[in-house]
Amino acid sequence: MDIFANLAHGFAVALSPINLLMCLIGALVGTLVGVLPGIGTIATVAMLLPITFGLPPVGALIMLAGIYYGAQYGGSTTSILVNIPGEATSVVTAIDGHQMAKQGRAGPALAIAAIGSFFAGCVATVLIAVLGAPLTKLALAFGPAEYFSLMVLGLIFAVVLAKGSVLKAIAMIVLGLLMSMVGSDIETGASRMAFNIPELADGLGFATVAMGVFGFAEIIRNLDAGAEMNRDLVQQKITGLMPTRKDLRDSAPAILRGTVLGSILGILPGGGAVIASFAAYTLEKKIAKNPSRFGRGAIEGVAAPESANNAAAQTSFIPLLTLGIPPNAVMALMVGAMTIHGIVPGPQVMQKQPDLVWGMIASMWIGNLMLIIINLPLVGIWVRLLRVPYRLMFPSIVIFCAIGIYSVNNAPVDVILAGVFGLVGYWLIKHDFEPAPLLLGMVLGPLMEENLRRALLISRGDWSVFLTRPLSAVLLAIAASLLILTVLPALRAKRDEVFTESEN
Amino acid sequence: MTSIRALATGACAVALASLCAFVAPSQAQTYPTRGITMIVPFAAGGPTDVISRIVTAHMAQTLGQSIVIENVVGAGGTTATARAARAANDGYTLITGHMGTHAASVPLYPKLAYHPEKDFEPIALLAGTPILILARKDFPPKDLKEFVAYVKANAEKVNAAHAGVGSVSHVSCELLHSILDIKPVGVPFNGTGPAMNALVAGQVDYMCDQIVNAVPQINAGTIKAYAIATVERNPSLPNVPTTTEAGLPAFQAQAWNAMFAPKGTSPAVVASLNAAAVKALDDGTVRKRLLELGSVIPGPADRTPEALATLVKNEIAKWTPVLKPAS
Amino acid sequence: MADTMGHSATATRNTSVALGFCLLAIAPQIFEFIWSIGTIFGWGAGRGPATVLISHATALVAGAPAVLIGSVGGETKKASSDVLLALIYSYPILAVAIVSLFMAIRSAQDYVGGVILMALALFALWASSDLQGMRGFSFGAGTAPRMFGGLLVALSAGIALTGLLTDGPAMAHYSWRGPLFVMASIVFFALAIRPLGLVVSAFVSFMIAAMGSHETRWLEAAIVGACLTLGCALLFPYVLGLPMPMFPRFLIQ
Repeated sequence: MDIFANLAHGFAVALSPINLLMCLIGALVGTLVGVLPGIGTIATVAMLLPITFGLPPVGALIMLAGIYYGAQYGGSTTSILVNIPGEATSVVTAIDGHQMAKQGRAGPALAIAAIGSFFAGCVATVLIAVLGAPLTKLALAFGPAEYFSLMVLGLIFAVVLAKGSVLKAIAMIVLGLLMSMVGSDIETGASRMAFNIPELADGLGFATVAMGVFGFAEIIRNLDAGAEMNRDLVQQKITGLMPTRKDLRDSAPAILRGTVLGSILGILPGGGAVIASFAAYTLEKKIAKNPSRFGRGAIEGVAAPESANNAAAQTSFIPLLTLGIPPNAVMALMVGAMTIHGIVPGPQVMQKQPDLVWGMIASMWIGNLMLIIINLPLVGIWVRLLRVPYRLMFPSIVIFCAIGIYSVNNAPVDVILAGVFGLVGYWLIKHDFEPAPLLLGMVLGPLMEENLRRALLISRGDWSVFLTRPLSAVLLAIAASLLILTVLPALRAKRDEVFTESEN
Repeated sequence: MTSIRALATGACAVALASLCAFVAPSQAQTYPTRGITMIVPFAAGGPTDVISRIVTAHMAQTLGQSIVIENVVGAGGTTATARAARAANDGYTLITGHMGTHAASVPLYPKLAYHPEKDFEPIALLAGTPILILARKDFPPKDLKEFVAYVKANAEKVNAAHAGVGSVSHVSCELLHSILDIKPVGVPFNGTGPAMNALVAGQVDYMCDQIVNAVPQINAGTIKAYAIATVERNPSLPNVPTTTEAGLPAFQAQAWNAMFAPKGTSPAVVASLNAAAVKALDDGTVRKRLLELGSVIPGPADRTPEALATLVKNEIAKWTPVLKPAS
Repeated sequence: MADTMGHSATATRNTSVALGFCLLAIAPQIFEFIWSIGTIFGWGAGRGPATVLISHATALVAGAPAVLIGSVGGETKKASSDVLLALIYSYPILAVAIVSLFMAIRSAQDYVGGVILMALALFALWASSDLQGMRGFSFGAGTAPRMFGGLLVALSAGIALTGLLTDGPAMAHYSWRGPLFVMASIVFFALAIRPLGLVVSAFVSFMIAAMGSHETRWLEAAIVGACLTLGCALLFPYVLGLPMPMFPRFLIQ
């Protein structure tokens, strides 16, 4: 078959010493970037783009791709250990992952995240090779109406993953949506709720808000009088480093489902990868025999979203490789890297640049292998980090976060804003509001609003498009049934939920 | 340089003239004593960024100092341009200005923190990226004449995509619409990638975009091009007629990119930067890479600082009436 | 999150809650006043403190009631931004404050949380009040913010009502030491990174943050802080290639 010839060719390219080295550098830098809070993939790839100027194009792209999916591996580490999601895709991982760490099970959480990511990465790579071209149609079938419905569905996922009051979760999503509207309006360019502060002209950055409401707020809360007890307890009871047989049995189906969901959603340009991790978590929570375990350290709650986000990170290369259209900001930078080398990607890039395309696909598999080899031994080191006394740990996290946020835009105001969001996050904790739905609202908000407005512009104000287009109607139907399924039992069980939670 | 020569050829004492001639070039030669920062007001990998990188890589060899590109994004490039306007005018901070930041921004942003003419010293025009009129592959009109007739007749029905307010695709389509005297619905996207995706998928009818992103799609037949808004046909798309050939000569637009320094930068520094830029534009490899991108390289007459100053002036005059009513 | 909760739903003293809400109702005005003091020293742009004080006071006392009465009488005059702030933000919160005096609060956590969230939503409504609304079939810049602002007002009212109608936890305890020093450390870092460089700002910020905990041992913190600073100084600019000033500006020149 053609595929095998192509893949063999790809491996021949990817296994050349220089490309192996590039792949390793990419994987290492990606892991580092993912682990360090605040420093995003986009900023790093942009920063390293000039270096690729002097490299051969295949090697350059292999390295940049390595950074991208390597960051997905590393991103889970800070989510699990210190409850700071570095990327939008690892927000969900923080929910159960950090609970596991608090129960002394950081090792299994980190290991299962790496194993899930590896499995998902391998499957998704094969998928790109075999089904890349036909799957492209999916990316083209999604118009503004479908995207809007998908975003609505994504926001419903955020309601489902909330462990407390549904009303509060919805309020947090809406607050997130409102926060996402700060900055320039996409259609008119008008400045919205920015109070003439130049740093707000392009809106609040995800890193700024995430570092604030997760990172800084968590630190401030841990410094509360009386919180020492909990912390010290965490340090005492660290158990095994590797997942037990039961952990593996529990997470295997979750990894499988996460991989499938992530592979499909990753192809969609825009919020695909973010929605994938939320969708995978929601699915696990909905089909679980005992959904109340979620949010309290369920290993499936780590395995599924981590598999999903890594699968999505791989399949998001499909639109780039088959259509020549970048589905997200990192991919746009990849296009830039190709353009610098005089290769402008387009629909024919697969025929015209077989070395590049198949070399990259093969390198993804090699990269995933490298990443699991790098990451599994690191688990032991990360877990040992948890034994560092908190009085030394927390100022270090503050400094790392501050440098990370500053580095995103070289803007000191961003650091202060993150501090303010830290206070906001502290307040949210005190009133039992959850930050995860807020962040999801913030990430999906612009996509939802833009696509709603686009859809209505194209339909000339006819709201029925969302129901007459079949894909969109199906997505909305799923969203509606999911909401009903969540709200009904939640209304009944609301009081017991609150009390079971305060026992933890 | 011309002023120095004028002085030298003047009636001044030979000693004075030789002194001046000695002092001025020596300043210019010693000028880059450390690395130069070049602000690019758009994300890495975009057309402006790639052009800047290609040209500055060669200029750095000429000047003997590194030129570091700093990508500062935000507010259609105006954030970066405002920062460059306030930077020290010692010749160590430069900016790649662009049709958007140094012309269209004037009518688009009433509270602009700088003025393209008053706050900058023009250095040299680097390269222009031609703009194409593109449409989805099954859009009924077959050529530009039919397109004009169709769009005029169906102005209520057609959708024009663009990559966000202030983007090249937005302002150039506004120019097209003002020439045709129509106001179709503009569908904004977040960047050229998503806009191109929508055009390939047939969700929108047409758009105006820079040649870089469009060539592979046109060659693959996923979209079609009606015309190119330049004087001559482009070597990377030999079959696409110019707007003049296709019957719409009024529509001329190019996303030009040019190098500027903050106001008050000394003429000697400007002259040496201009010389380095001109040398880069004459270099074979640089030309080849720019042409691969579909860029138009300015001729010798258009490369002087004076020519650039005139260009900025004319462009502001050109865009102001087109964009004023829109904002 | 659960461990910070209070134990039982004892009735909170309503007067202090109501007073707090009154303060919240004029918080943006107070903030602008404090901000405006900076203009005396030439920091930042904006109105001077006297102008701020007078215009907000007149808007609160006279302007807004006049518009209210005017709108009843059918007059539509364009209100200034200060008057709108009083009308959209301050008055509703003041009304809630007065209502709180006469209500039995069964869950202060929900009630206060809901009201503060409502204040945020009302503030967003005011901030987007100058934006364009619907233009025919297409959304204006202000349509979506107003839509979601309104929705958030309704949702937060629901949360506040839950706090009145069902039993729940009381207000959680806030401590001051952690937030103060962590915030001070962040602000110091933000102000110092450009002029003083990474080395100085990272180390000093580390020490300020360390003050946030009473467990801190100074010698140990200083050693770890120095090592961390060294690590950051190598990691960020060299390994990751992030452009960052390293040393104080005055030392380099």
